[in-house]
Amino acid sequence: MRQHHTIDSQTQLVDAIKSNDSEALKSLYTNNYYKIEALVLKNSGTKEQAKDIYQEAFISVWNNIKNDTFVPQNETALQGYLYQIAKNKWYDVLRSSQFKKTNLMNPTMTFEDKIDEEENEEEQEIYKQKLKQAMEAFKVLGSPCKELLTTFYFEKKSLRDIAEKLNIEETTARNKKYRCMEKLREMVLASKP
Amino acid sequence: MEDNSNISQELLETIERYYNGSMSKDELEKFENKLEQDNVFKSQVEDIKTLLFGIESQSLKEKLDEFHKEIPLQEQTVETSSKVRRLDFWKYATAAVIVIGLGCFWFLSGSSNERLFNNHFTPDPGLPTTMSSSDNFDFFDAMVNYKEGNYQKAIEKWEKLELKQPENDTISYFLGVAYLAKKEEASAIKYLEKTTQTSNSVFMNDANYYLGLAYLKAENTEKAIEHLEMSSSDDSKELLKKLK
Repeated sequence: MRQHHTIDSQTQLVDAIKSNDSEALKSLYTNNYYKIEALVLKNSGTKEQAKDIYQEAFISVWNNIKNDTFVPQNETALQGYLYQIAKNKWYDVLRSSQFKKTNLMNPTMTFEDKIDEEENEEEQEIYKQKLKQAMEAFKVLGSPCKELLTTFYFEKKSLRDIAEKLNIEETTARNKKYRCMEKLREMVLASKP
Repeated sequence: MEDNSNISQELLETIERYYNGSMSKDELEKFENKLEQDNVFKSQVEDIKTLLFGIESQSLKEKLDEFHKEIPLQEQTVETSSKVRRLDFWKYATAAVIVIGLGCFWFLSGSSNERLFNNHFTPDPGLPTTMSSSDNFDFFDAMVNYKEGNYQKAIEKWEKLELKQPENDTISYFLGVAYLAKKEEASAIKYLEKTTQTSNSVFMNDANYYLGLAYLKAENTEKAIEHLEMSSSDDSKELLKKLK
């Protein structure tokens, strides 16, 4: 009986994360950090490294929830999954020759958890590259556009709410969003190697 | 990203609908057909999808540093746990006093139903509070109060939630049990009846058991038996034997 109930809570948590619910993301993040910090500190890492590896793992978990790679099977499945991914990532760092030589880790994000074995590795490489370009372009996008796109695409607020907040017409908000996307696309195209 | 320029506003919005799964069945079918047949279209869609996902990923990435600042300091956790231990001691001490006190009370007075109630009632152990879903935060926050024996505080919090989710059998069940733990059987009955009216509630068995106890306390033996018979738990059966 109680088992049943808690799996429901996991499903609710997963749904909340899929919709980027800020409170759900925050509580998942803050409640599971220390377990990873303890692991990293015990295994020749620093607090700073613990934070990096945890954030990387957190994004992977979020990513896998979004594309339904992860489906909770028991009451603490999600928390356990986050720990497992962070742990694997940390062991990868420990094994990497770079770590042995310089004791520094590569801070760029990896999306290897997304890789579907059957899919072509080269295609995956291209996808990763494109995603990275998109993220980097968005990172430096001018702040009015960045704010608008974050509110619409990440926080999933409606155009009407956005328009109301900015004190503009809904159609104006809609056009703004389109122009911001055009701008972002331009930046991505320009960053092409 | 390829330069398949001129993605119109309309196309962007169509891809948005595809990306967040809000297309109608009809639209989705047509859209997927086009994806299969038109390679230029397909790569346009892929690029926009990647862009949208990139926006979300980067937004999240930037949020994480904010979240990181809100991780409670570990020292605080240590402190709370020692406080909890101290509280535990007092809880046990108080419990012992209550048990002894009640023992005397039963010995000296009280109807047989009252005695049966006191002999059989132990509050539901509650749900594990390790969960961290935001929707459930308030619920589990109250659960912590409940488990500490602070029924009044738990009730106040759950009653607020109950207003928002009157159909939720979990909330009504724990409200019922919390009221019963406070010996307010009338309110307990109100909420537990509500739980048993939710068909297929996972709490059906336990709710009927506690309803039986609540009616027992209210000196309504007939109703008590009726509900105990609807519960298949061993506790119910044992209690029924004593009642008959």
